[in-house]
Amino acid sequence: MSPEPEWLQPRSLAEALDLKAERGEEATVVAGGTFVGILMNQGLLAPTALLSLARVPRLDGIEANGDLRLGALVTHRAVELSLVVRERWPALARSFSVVASPRVRNQATVGGVLADADYASDPPAMLTALGAVAVVRSSRGERSIPIDELIVGHYETTLAFDELIVEVRVPGGGHRAAYRKFRSRSHEDRPCVAVAVCRRGDDLRVVVGAVADRPQLFPELCDPHATPGEIGLAYADAIEPLSDIRGSAEYRRRVIAVEVRRALEEIAG
Amino acid sequence: MSDPRVTGAVRYAQDVELPDMLEARIVRSPYPHAGIARVDASALPDGVVVLLPDDVRGLGVYGPQIQDATVLALDVARYAGDPVAAVAARTAREAEQAASLIEIDYEELPAVFDPVEAAGDDAPRVHEIAEVSENEAAYFDLRPQPGTNVCHRFRVRQGDPEAAFEECDVVVEETYRTAGAQHVHMEPHASAARWDGDRLEVWTGTQTPYNLRSDLARIFLMDPERIRIVCPPMGGAFGAKTFVRLEGIAAALARKAGRPVKCVLERAEEWQTLNRHPSVIRVRLGAKADGTLVAARFRCWADTGAYADCGPGVAQKMGFAAAGPYRIPHVWVDADCVYTNLPPNGAFRGYGQMQSTWARELALDLLADRLGIDPVELRLKNVLHDGDRYCTGEEMHDCHYEACLRAAARAVDWDDARRGKGVALLLKGMQTPSRAEIAVEAEDDGTYTVRCATAEMGQGAWRTISLLAAEELGVDVGQIRYAVPDTDIGPYDTRTTSSRSTYVMARALREAVRDLRANGRRGHGMIEIPGGLDPDTGQGVASHHWHQGAAAAEVRVDEETGKVEVVRLHAAIYAGRVVNRPGAELQNEGSMIMGLGTALYEEIDVADGQVTNANLSDYEIPAFADMPERLTHDLIEREGADIHGLGETALPPVPAAIGNALASLRLHVTELPLAPEAVLCAVDVREGVRA
Repeated sequence: MSPEPEWLQPRSLAEALDLKAERGEEATVVAGGTFVGILMNQGLLAPTALLSLARVPRLDGIEANGDLRLGALVTHRAVELSLVVRERWPALARSFSVVASPRVRNQATVGGVLADADYASDPPAMLTALGAVAVVRSSRGERSIPIDELIVGHYETTLAFDELIVEVRVPGGGHRAAYRKFRSRSHEDRPCVAVAVCRRGDDLRVVVGAVADRPQLFPELCDPHATPGEIGLAYADAIEPLSDIRGSAEYRRRVIAVEVRRALEEIAG
Repeated sequence: MSDPRVTGAVRYAQDVELPDMLEARIVRSPYPHAGIARVDASALPDGVVVLLPDDVRGLGVYGPQIQDATVLALDVARYAGDPVAAVAARTAREAEQAASLIEIDYEELPAVFDPVEAAGDDAPRVHEIAEVSENEAAYFDLRPQPGTNVCHRFRVRQGDPEAAFEECDVVVEETYRTAGAQHVHMEPHASAARWDGDRLEVWTGTQTPYNLRSDLARIFLMDPERIRIVCPPMGGAFGAKTFVRLEGIAAALARKAGRPVKCVLERAEEWQTLNRHPSVIRVRLGAKADGTLVAARFRCWADTGAYADCGPGVAQKMGFAAAGPYRIPHVWVDADCVYTNLPPNGAFRGYGQMQSTWARELALDLLADRLGIDPVELRLKNVLHDGDRYCTGEEMHDCHYEACLRAAARAVDWDDARRGKGVALLLKGMQTPSRAEIAVEAEDDGTYTVRCATAEMGQGAWRTISLLAAEELGVDVGQIRYAVPDTDIGPYDTRTTSSRSTYVMARALREAVRDLRANGRRGHGMIEIPGGLDPDTGQGVASHHWHQGAAAAEVRVDEETGKVEVVRLHAAIYAGRVVNRPGAELQNEGSMIMGLGTALYEEIDVADGQVTNANLSDYEIPAFADMPERLTHDLIEREGADIHGLGETALPPVPAAIGNALASLRLHVTELPLAPEAVLCAVDVREGVRA
């Protein structure tokens, strides 16, 4: 066990960005702490410094003027309970509502779940299917990264050492979407297979989460004229699933076919 | 209402603070089986106290039933997690940092992780010898098998099943398996020790203060009377807090430090401390065409891990309860308790009888299917009634198996439709023989103090015994004070296990109150329960009285994914007379929910001898959202009946009822837990797309 990490607690975004630029990878960013806390308890992470965003103001807003803007520090529970999200992006609200337990959802944040890039989290697949982008800030400036370009592997993102996620933007407009979480064990478990689908006119996006190192999207297989069953089988064929305690690769392949079909049936008609 | 458990006022063992106390951390072997070549603690800073194998080499070898344990692994580490050294410092964090500076060289040895393989002649040996313990917890004759990893073999020999199978119209045979499980008690193991000259005081979360005291006496080669054990209430135990756990390390460190030492486990260490026995059980069951059971043969392997602990007792109960509450003229059982290089397995709510119930009750439904007889009818035809003899030769009394089964079947509307429904019956033994004592003292202010060693672990025993005392004394329960168990002050009790405390303490209390009335200030009551079995024939008295219960389940199966949803779950248990109704109801519900976890989710995952899911994210227990749509139970009482223990009864039949509900859909899964992947495989087998 290493010494107590240094606790950095900036009181403004500018201060946070300065600290991030100065300390870079050495300072592990903490928002709700549900991910970092577990890794530290298990001895998998021993940061020399923790950069807490808890006191940074104005990162916890939910705004919906056309697009949906979720501040990085909005909790899962806040997304789940937001009336506007439930009304206009119900599948998104659902993907946050099925994470673990209320105790976890009261802590875990929108920015955190993306920056962790844990393959078995629920929201990233849904955000990918909805075409969301992460707004990322550094002392050098701001850029937007589509979620499917942000998460690139196991716990791996394209965030630069000095960047922080400050907001997530989800396109508005007419769409039909669904999120299905298949659990092989308890209700509070992470998904064995997660399927997020979204259709905007002829644009169909099918994303499968928790089965590989990052959310799986195959635009070429998302033929809006194919049947749900065909797309399910095509996804099961295209994905190289991993094996873990929640299911073997072979088992996941079968469940992918079923759950993709079911998700597409939910938004049919 | 200010329940001290809610306000945080309860002082658990982990809250104990003593002047000048140090906190300890344990250094554990990373290898499942390895020689310890060198231990070097020279890099440790001043001010920390380190306990190394050479420090404990001169101490006694201990173990409740087999003497196979030392305070630290001396020359060989036998499982990944075996304590090799320990460090005490001002804080647990400092101790942890110091512990990381200890250098240990290991030489890996061949290891074995499967009980059937481990029982074979060619398996790597976990211990060279298995010396039978003289501890009072070795309450039956032990039969270690020399030259093998089998540290106890229990057998039942009644009739001649092999010959009788020849005369059966139908014989079924199947092998069943159950996974290892963690107790997941909320409060981790915690112990604090202090030496005062040649006296040792220990504050610890334990269900077995007197067994602990005698083993500590063995370790420190001292008179048990010079050891004091105090048992604060526990935040859950479920069998995990039995016999010596951290107490030996805390006490040895405290002696070396010359200061009190406390040790509290991290959650992950619980999986390295004590778990439930994985099992393999082969069943052969034969009947006449009319459903009359004729013969049964059981072969059980209980994987006790690297140290026997009370595994021999677990294997014995797994074995003697295997035949279940049925009249079967020919029964042979061979139950082996087998060492492997896994973390130790010991007492766990249900104590081996969940495992054999799972195997037998599934085999019975297989038999019912082959006979074309309704599973409830088959059971009713053979169920034990008053005056019947069990396979141990003992005559059965106060039998209510039929009532339990009928109540359970009724709760799931068995007669309306059978698809997706299953039932299971349980017969479970209570610790026999055993002894319990209790003292009742009249105080000057008109109140009474009750002293006994019954531990409070969330089961409500202190409340229940206080209610009994109030009833016996004819006073309000508010007049009763239950003293925290303390071996210096309170009288002897065998232990708080096997759902025995309410029954035995109620009887001892009656004596104590009679004595108090005769003698004025202090009354003492004692009850001794005789009995026991011959381990080579299984004949004798297995249980002074039997825990009786049934479960019924209705499931919905997603046949495209194999996911099982339990829609209805009911347990009906015989309670005799209920003393503390809210407590009894919670025991039933808690047992059923724990059974649901065993049935569907819980499995200690091991790869190359390493537990891979030693945390509560990767090891799943049931959550509120997993509760069946209807979770109900019965406490069956009888006018004038004795109290019956009920802390475990509703657990063991639950997995089998769910397994049989799947079998009613022709989905045959023989291994617990019922993972969707295994259920989907059973769908494939039924559909003929997989062999």
